[in-house]
Amino acid sequence: MDKFWKIIAIGVLACVLVIALTPYLWILLTSFKGRLDILAPQPTWFFTPTLANYPAVFIDKDYLPLVFNSLIIATGSTTLSLLIGAPAAYVFARSNFAGKEDLFFFFLTTRMAPPISIAVPLFLFFTMLGLTDTIYAVVIAHTTFNLSLVVWMMRGFFAEIPKEIDEAAMMDGRSKLGAFVRVIVPLAAPGLAATAVLCFIMSWNEFLYAFILVAFEGRPITVGIPGLITPHGTLWGQVAAVAVVATLPILVFTFLVQKHLVRGLTFGAVKG
Amino acid sequence: MGALIATPALAALAMLGLAGQAGAWSLEEAAAPYKGVTIRTIGEALPPLEAMKKLAPEFEKQTGITVEIEMYEHSEAVSKVMLDLNSKRGRYDFIIQPHRELGKFVTNGHVEPVETFMASATLRDPEFKPEEQLYQGLWKEISWYEGKPYGFPFTALTMYEWYRSDLLNDPKEKEGFKAKYGYELGPAQDWKQYRDIAEWFTRPDQGLYGTALQGKRHEALWYEWLNFLYSYGGDMLEVKAGSECGPVVVNSPQAIAATEYYKSLMAFSPPDTLNYFWDDVMALMQQGKVAELIMWNDATYAVAVDENASSVVGKMGFDLVPQGEGGKVAQVEGWTYLVPTSSKNKEAAYLFIQWMMDYDQQLNQHLNGGATARPDVYASAEVQKLPYSQASMGSNEVAKPKPTIPQSSEMTDILVRELSSYLADEKTAKEALDQAAKEISELLGSCAPMKYPVQ
Amino acid sequence: MMTAVNPSPRGTFLLDRGASLPLLLPATLLVLVFLVGPFYYMIYTAMTDLSFANPDQKGAFVGFDNFRKLVREDSIFWGSFWLTIRFVVASVAVEFVLGFGLALLIWRFIERQRLLTTLLLVPMMLAPVAVGLIWRLLLQGDFGMVTYYLRQFGILSQASAVFSSPALVMPTVIAIDVWQWTPFVTLIILAGLMSMPRSPFEAATMDGAGPWRQFVDILLPLLRPIIALVLLLRGIDAFKEFDKVFIMTGGGPGTVSELLSIYAYRVNFKNWNLGYGAAVSFMVYLVVLILCSVFYKAVYWKTAGERA
Repeated sequence: MDKFWKIIAIGVLACVLVIALTPYLWILLTSFKGRLDILAPQPTWFFTPTLANYPAVFIDKDYLPLVFNSLIIATGSTTLSLLIGAPAAYVFARSNFAGKEDLFFFFLTTRMAPPISIAVPLFLFFTMLGLTDTIYAVVIAHTTFNLSLVVWMMRGFFAEIPKEIDEAAMMDGRSKLGAFVRVIVPLAAPGLAATAVLCFIMSWNEFLYAFILVAFEGRPITVGIPGLITPHGTLWGQVAAVAVVATLPILVFTFLVQKHLVRGLTFGAVKG
Repeated sequence: MGALIATPALAALAMLGLAGQAGAWSLEEAAAPYKGVTIRTIGEALPPLEAMKKLAPEFEKQTGITVEIEMYEHSEAVSKVMLDLNSKRGRYDFIIQPHRELGKFVTNGHVEPVETFMASATLRDPEFKPEEQLYQGLWKEISWYEGKPYGFPFTALTMYEWYRSDLLNDPKEKEGFKAKYGYELGPAQDWKQYRDIAEWFTRPDQGLYGTALQGKRHEALWYEWLNFLYSYGGDMLEVKAGSECGPVVVNSPQAIAATEYYKSLMAFSPPDTLNYFWDDVMALMQQGKVAELIMWNDATYAVAVDENASSVVGKMGFDLVPQGEGGKVAQVEGWTYLVPTSSKNKEAAYLFIQWMMDYDQQLNQHLNGGATARPDVYASAEVQKLPYSQASMGSNEVAKPKPTIPQSSEMTDILVRELSSYLADEKTAKEALDQAAKEISELLGSCAPMKYPVQ
Repeated sequence: MMTAVNPSPRGTFLLDRGASLPLLLPATLLVLVFLVGPFYYMIYTAMTDLSFANPDQKGAFVGFDNFRKLVREDSIFWGSFWLTIRFVVASVAVEFVLGFGLALLIWRFIERQRLLTTLLLVPMMLAPVAVGLIWRLLLQGDFGMVTYYLRQFGILSQASAVFSSPALVMPTVIAIDVWQWTPFVTLIILAGLMSMPRSPFEAATMDGAGPWRQFVDILLPLLRPIIALVLLLRGIDAFKEFDKVFIMTGGGPGTVSELLSIYAYRVNFKNWNLGYGAAVSFMVYLVVLILCSVFYKAVYWKTAGERA
């Protein structure tokens, strides 16, 4: 009986996978098609592939540096988010003070404002500081937005680590900071990995602030995509090529970290 | 147009005499103080800008001034400039913007009048005479505001009729058409013909449609609709120039008639027509799926000449927008060079702009997908060879201005929303236009009373 | 794992003020300066008439005029508002049910979950801008792959296309949102399922309780914090939905898909009516804040006693 349900389950999951992956597969195929194939009335699954789209957008249009820009911004903001957010989460997990839960809720509220709303004020503020058109503005902006996620998730992870470990580490003669860095953080590594992946994805895929705050030379891939929509025709082949390349690093990153990803979430981060 | 062949030599001598110089003006000399400077600009990522990018190194060789060009999608280019100008950051030394934004820039003090530079003998090239060398109507609408020039046209765009010449000239089609409608099949000259042709060629089972409306909730809808509005003798405001404010007439009987006719063409349009903007109808024509369209003059290369993108190369014909009560009309649209007040290298920027407006650069740019505002470029042999030159020239002569006042983008937004609602059957044409008229009148204030008040 | 959440009877390790402050300070400061600061500036702007377009509107103080106009006269705002609420409720509900079901299936029946879950995450990894363009391509009326098959299977008629049929637009947008975010829900719930302790279930089985009983009486309560977390996160993010819908429909046809963020974008970035736009933004924030506060207090106040 169990076997029967298992087969059903596998069937359902197979269908779900097909639904989830087919659009991406289609874009992959599209990136190798010429314009006439892309616009054909009947979907062409078999066609003569062309490699022209990739060099056209990455070399002729000079989009290759954009990939590196995305990488720099996402890595920078993820690192900064973890560096600043993890200690804060640790405090929530390990201390009690008046207004602790309110402060925690406050961190959540930072997620609630629609990005549009503070776009212009933030732009004016960064301009005042002279940081617009540098990488720093967007990294700071992304970090600020990701903080709520880091604090929320890491609090749960740290809470899972028994307090005896903290005490044991301190008794070994370490300072509180040393205990944190040398002992607690490695134990929470799976959680950090999971949080890092989510932060990285969100920063990599972000559009509005990257568009407003970054100079033309430093713009990431997401900002480059609309430039391929023109009144003379959207260059679908090139859009597809950019979409494929934009997703590859994330896929690779997640595959590398997958071992920790679910295990990390498993360890109770989701307890909030 | 007649002053095209003004005697340059005499004029130049006169200028030199006025300037009191012994030698002739040269670009190298004028640019000498700015050697080594880098100027930066921003524009829409399209062939004309790409052509400019390819020409820039030549300017650099002659002057030592480097030009950096940022290319963005249409609305991104506008947003970036607004943010830059309003924060007075001064990142851009000159900008290329849609002419409809001019009102916002001028009234908020963001751009320099071009006279500042043209009055300077050191900067001004005596050979450059925009008052003779450009289509005056276009220059005045694209780059002037309230009687003062602020730049020169980067592109001078308009819309006109595209049709499949092979279909319209086919003897069998001609026979059948004449039998059904009683007159010769040819490019539509008025709206009845346009409709008949659309109806005749709507054959869904063959994958062919008469026409395609750009019905998406997007500016493309407003641009397309304007052709119908003007042609029916309607307008948005009763004014003579784009920078004027005047009575709101967008809900006049002519406007309502134009709009209802416009919607009636949906019957001869593919099913996804409410999802189309210029991109999709372009693709349809390239795939040979529609017989006629109202489309842009600068997109013609990709459909009539480029074989990698279009399957109807050599089968395209172009003509003016069909005529209604309003007679021969076309709309003015264009991107203009402007120099921000916050620019850090205004003179160097002006020199580059002036150089780009020269005949050779304009010809080069036009042949590479541009849309020049110089009649002499249109008259050149190379340009005359292109299939759409006649239609472009004809349209340039009868182009009507559209609002460039600061509230212009909000006006467009209101109209796009109301028109889209009407097309989606959410209200009648009269309701949509009345609502638009009401909101526009409120938006503009006392200078724009409603000429056709809503009961 | 639940045991670790209860305060350990032996250890009383707690950080004191001295240690807490420096660890907490950077995060709080960052948020205060770069988020709260601009936020208060936005509120101030909402009480002015600032416009980048109109030269007469340089930011004179107008008090609550913008808000009054918004609440009393702006029918488009209210249309957007209710549309967005419907969108959020529908999307999150479907994503939750499907995601929960999928997580249960994977947890119960599949051993090698890691590869599977990573593949499932692909929709969520695509940039929203890219998602919008991809689905625009797939659902285009003339050459879209999905449109073609929808018509082949008779789900869509030959004479209609998804984004030009006002009645079909929002259901499609919701479906695409479900496609994009259900994996996220699945992932979080799966992790929660995998971290549940065995003992309550074993005890219940020994007491003779059947699977359904166990599901309702043990599993659901154990997962309550996680369910709340996922609903909260998705709810907040769905309210802010912008990128993909704007690219696919522009808010149209008509105003059929004009979500609040799209309306806010128009007012701020197309009309450059920053004062009024700030009022719109603030109202959106307020609504999300109120709904979330209610939800959060209801769920987390109860579990507060169990927390570290």
